[in-house]
Amino acid sequence: MALIQTINLSKTYRKGKLEIHALKNASCEIEPGDFVSIVGKSGSGKSTLLNLIGGLDRASSGSIVFGGNDLRQLSKSEMANHRRFSVGMIFQSFNLIQSRNALENVELALTFGGVSRGKRKPRATELLTKVGLEERLTHVPDELSGGETQRVAIARALANNPKVLLADEPTGNLDSETSNEIIDLLIDLNKNHGITIIMVTHDLETAEKVSNLILKLKDGEIIEKLEKREAE
Amino acid sequence: MNLLDMIFLAFSNLWRTKLRTLLTTLGVIIGIGALTSMVSFGTGMQKNITDTFESNDLFTSITVTSKKVDLDEIVSGNVGEMTEALNRESTPLTDSILQAIRDLDGVELAYPNMEFPVRLNLLGDSSSTRLQALPAGIAKHKPFTELLAGSFFENDSANVIVLREEILSKLNIKLYKEGKRNVLSKQDSAKGVKLMHADSIIGRTIDIASISLNPSKVPNAFFSMLRDKPEMPFDETITTLEISGILKRAGQFGSNMFSGGAIIPAGTAQKIPKLEFSSVWDILDNKNQKGTYGSIHIRLKDMKKMDEVKASLDAMDVGTFSIADQLDDIKRAFLVFDSILGAIGAIALIVAGLGIINTMVMTILERTREIGIMKAIGGSEKEIKMIFFVEAGVIGFVGAIFGLLLGWLVTRVANVVMNAQILPEGVDPVNLFYFPVWLIMGAIAFSILISLAAAMYPASRAARIDPVRALRHD
Repeated sequence: MALIQTINLSKTYRKGKLEIHALKNASCEIEPGDFVSIVGKSGSGKSTLLNLIGGLDRASSGSIVFGGNDLRQLSKSEMANHRRFSVGMIFQSFNLIQSRNALENVELALTFGGVSRGKRKPRATELLTKVGLEERLTHVPDELSGGETQRVAIARALANNPKVLLADEPTGNLDSETSNEIIDLLIDLNKNHGITIIMVTHDLETAEKVSNLILKLKDGEIIEKLEKREAE
Repeated sequence: MNLLDMIFLAFSNLWRTKLRTLLTTLGVIIGIGALTSMVSFGTGMQKNITDTFESNDLFTSITVTSKKVDLDEIVSGNVGEMTEALNRESTPLTDSILQAIRDLDGVELAYPNMEFPVRLNLLGDSSSTRLQALPAGIAKHKPFTELLAGSFFENDSANVIVLREEILSKLNIKLYKEGKRNVLSKQDSAKGVKLMHADSIIGRTIDIASISLNPSKVPNAFFSMLRDKPEMPFDETITTLEISGILKRAGQFGSNMFSGGAIIPAGTAQKIPKLEFSSVWDILDNKNQKGTYGSIHIRLKDMKKMDEVKASLDAMDVGTFSIADQLDDIKRAFLVFDSILGAIGAIALIVAGLGIINTMVMTILERTREIGIMKAIGGSEKEIKMIFFVEAGVIGFVGAIFGLLLGWLVTRVANVVMNAQILPEGVDPVNLFYFPVWLIMGAIAFSILISLAAAMYPASRAARIDPVRALRHD
């Protein structure tokens, strides 16, 4: 059974009298262990699809089933639990809390995850060590490079052992060398730790290199699905 | 996320914006300071008055008068009712009535009120005052148990006198007090004030000059009016008594209720020639015949006997008055007084509440992105709301603690200033302000409540923030 299944998923925003169809009848299936890339131009609905899967937003119509639960039917607190335990998210602009250091940012996610006070620090240290930041634990985001900041965000996303990591243009603010490091980290998480990755990107070349499923979006519609499942 | 986590998070969030937190909390501190110092003044006044009643054993005393005077009738100010009340047919307070009162169950002591004007003469200084005659049995009742030195008389016919501390200054004596500056000022020295230990006064003799009417002199007095030097129809008698004790100063509140400057045993008083009246009205009021008393004081064995004894007295058709009756009225009056003071203080706290709302709305604008992040990593609306509530609660709690401290400091200073302004020199300072436990607890609870109420709108606004937009927010 697919881990994530969307059927005719649509999202419509209202901007005054204007209706914006950010996503139209998107249907797809994502299996456990997939590395999915969502590609397309700006405004094609990539991030909207990611936000719907991540539970940050609710669909206007259609259905989105995650691990057997229809996300549209979840209550607010069940949705918060979905964001907390089922998925981890990273963003182009990193979205760390600027006033908190690397450890504290990761610990905050653990706090929401209900990890006891005494276990948070060792667990956060372990996660940051895993992403190669054992030397930068007490640095605040301003004292970290872009790549390091994104690593902290990855460590935070992994805090509560999610099945799926959602990455919204994770390399969009990074130079090519650092980008490659982050991509390598994601590949490692996917291959060696069995984490399903869904990544929004502009970069078709990278997408083709790393993913086994590419969803191409245009004007809110999935216009092409490229699967390399058998080949892998 | 449990409450403890939220409290830690709240402290660290507040610490990040130290200056703003400090200013917001300062508003609460001033609000609580104003509220508690105001209310503590009200409760302090009330406490001082009830303490004075208590220390003078007024809750177990009843005054019996010959007339059934209803205080309400007099207070209401209606002239007709007042006149009627004063002219009402009365039961004379005779010895048989006195005996009947003494026989009532629950009455420990009943004695007629007897006071007469005298001139005291001690160590060359004299002062006129009124002498109060009391039975020896009163010795075990407050305030007669509170002696500075010596002892109260135990015998109704002993030739002794108990002085009140208040009269000593009129006799040019300043008492030596342990731990105080025992120095005479220049004015004191000029007046010939003597600094003495209370103990050294005990055992000394004091001359009491009393006057009595001499009927044989009355005709002479009439003719003497026509001459240059009128001769008054009075005899002056000097009685010498031994000072057995000095009574402590009565409380500052209601000290004028006890007018006499000294007390002598009732039996001794009968032997002293004196005017049988203490005011001109006693002579004019021809109902005050010989052998009757103006009023009788009663001390009860127990406060609980009050109603029973009063019912018996009513049956005798005499008037009664007791402070206990007035206590409810006094309490009600103070409730109004405290409420007014509290309302003034509460205004300051409500202004502080508006400050909290303002600060939190600002904070939410600033932390929009952070709220989005918290939601993205799994924070629920309820948790986000709670985080802001706890932050407000922390401001309220910390504000209350320091506010109470501020209120306490302000009242300490005010107490010193007011004591210096209103009390005569040499009197022990009075605590005009009082912080009972209910006021401290109430102030903390009220402060937290106001803070939480102030956080209601900002917190729910924060909880409703759309994470998708918040994450794009700069």
